[in-house]
Amino acid sequence: MTEKIEKSGSQSERDGVQSYRGKAEYRNSDFGRFCDLSTFPFTRFTHSVTQSNQQGSSETKTTHFGFQTVPEEAKESLVKNVFSSVASSYDVMNDAMSLGVHRLWKDDYVSSLRPGRKGPLRCIDLAGGTGDIALRILDYARENYADRETSVDVVDINAEMLKEGYKRFKKTMYHNTPQVRFIESNAQALPEEQFPSNTYDLYTIAFGIRNCTSIPDVLKEAYRVLKPGGTFACLEFSKVNNPLLNMLYDQWSFSVIPIMGTVLAGDRDSYQYLVESIRKFPSQPEFAQMIADAGFATGGLHEGKGGAWRDLWGGIASVHTGVKV
Amino acid sequence: MAGVRTRLLQLTLPLVRSHGFTRHALAQSVLALPAPHPEPLSDTAVSALFGEGDEARRTLIEAWLDEGRKQMRHAPSRSIKDVLAARLRYNESVVDLLPEAFATLVTPEGIPFVDPRPALSHAAKVADEACNVVNDQSVGPSWYARRTSIAAIYTAAELHQLTSPKTAEDFLSSLLESSTKVESAVLLRVVVSFKHSVPRNMCSEYCVLYMLIHKTRPRPRLDKIEHS
Repeated sequence: MTEKIEKSGSQSERDGVQSYRGKAEYRNSDFGRFCDLSTFPFTRFTHSVTQSNQQGSSETKTTHFGFQTVPEEAKESLVKNVFSSVASSYDVMNDAMSLGVHRLWKDDYVSSLRPGRKGPLRCIDLAGGTGDIALRILDYARENYADRETSVDVVDINAEMLKEGYKRFKKTMYHNTPQVRFIESNAQALPEEQFPSNTYDLYTIAFGIRNCTSIPDVLKEAYRVLKPGGTFACLEFSKVNNPLLNMLYDQWSFSVIPIMGTVLAGDRDSYQYLVESIRKFPSQPEFAQMIADAGFATGGLHEGKGGAWRDLWGGIASVHTGVKV
Repeated sequence: MAGVRTRLLQLTLPLVRSHGFTRHALAQSVLALPAPHPEPLSDTAVSALFGEGDEARRTLIEAWLDEGRKQMRHAPSRSIKDVLAARLRYNESVVDLLPEAFATLVTPEGIPFVDPRPALSHAAKVADEACNVVNDQSVGPSWYARRTSIAAIYTAAELHQLTSPKTAEDFLSSLLESSTKVESAVLLRVVVSFKHSVPRNMCSEYCVLYMLIHKTRPRPRLDKIEHS
């Protein structure tokens, strides 16, 4: 019995916004046998449809979708569509957009956590669809500490991304072992029967939290599922503090990356959203405060040694950590 | 956020005697919480809260030194001798751990040589705290001279304590008795460094020296001094 993509929650909970339900493609593949995509409620939309021009009533809660303002309940579906669109070329595009630097960031992120140093860990990686963080965690524990007991639950709201991760792991020694599981679920509402409280030693989320509709809900769930003493670690794009570097970064982000999306992936708008969403994410101190407000113990409200976060490459990315005490 | 971290550091201080200035001591701190954890903090959690590698140990050592300065306020009297002696007594329980602790402070990662700044900062902070406790009223160059001399005295006494803990307080007393000479030397150095504001002639400098050595003597009138 190989790993299967587990779905959490009821069908209605996974439906998202009712108005976006439609036919879904059924993929005749090994993946499809384990996860019937014909039951998925969402389909791929053109971006002209998703660009909502609705002026909501005063009661309608809105949030940002990149630089657009959309109804809060619509963001989840919109983000799902983006990642369904980019899933098959996600890793290639990451390499192109960051010139391979994202690999250094992820290596630094995982190595700073030192999984396996003091025994096996039970880890959960949210928005970890393609499995690169999970694979790094397992490899680090194995290569440095001969740890073959550390396990990672890879959780993602997007089945396409999970499919890519599943395929990646089929090429590794962790396939068909209890060290990895793939679970489709919403980071804001992890079902308690599948994700009991006080379960995990390490909660990771890399380049995913900015896509969530409600960051406080994600943090609340992270706090719930972690054991006392468990660690929350988030790698995310952040605010660049150096004005010159910030100018160059903006030029690269808004001039080059959408063009790359067009040429390499045939999807400019998805990559436009990705760079816009980075600009809408809270700054490092704001996000650190949100982590503390969720109940985590953190370092001081500053960067670096003893601080609540650590900047990478001048703040292009940051690693925020917190401990459930 | 920082409150929980600070609380854990406070809970770690009593564990220093048994566990040393180690990451293990920091991990054990959660066992002393009012609602104790079932197991110590993981290595990842210690790194997240206090820093990676020896950085966590430096955080603990700095917290221990901060607590030592607070203990100075509970000295039996408001004399410099008693305040500094109280600080030395704070060291007694962990005196065998202090050489390695100080070595850890002055050898930060990534720097291939000894960094004296933490040691100088420690001495300066102790001196400043001692002067605050005794309500020192020095101003101007005397403010610096007083603190410099106390820092020097305390540093010497603490170093003595590392090798001969039982005679540390007596050594401190003997140093304090000769402290006025140290203070004067420092004050002289400060004043001489401002000599550009004084007429540049040997007699003027002699008058300054004369004033320092014989403080009770009235200040000589510079216009009555014959130039050599």
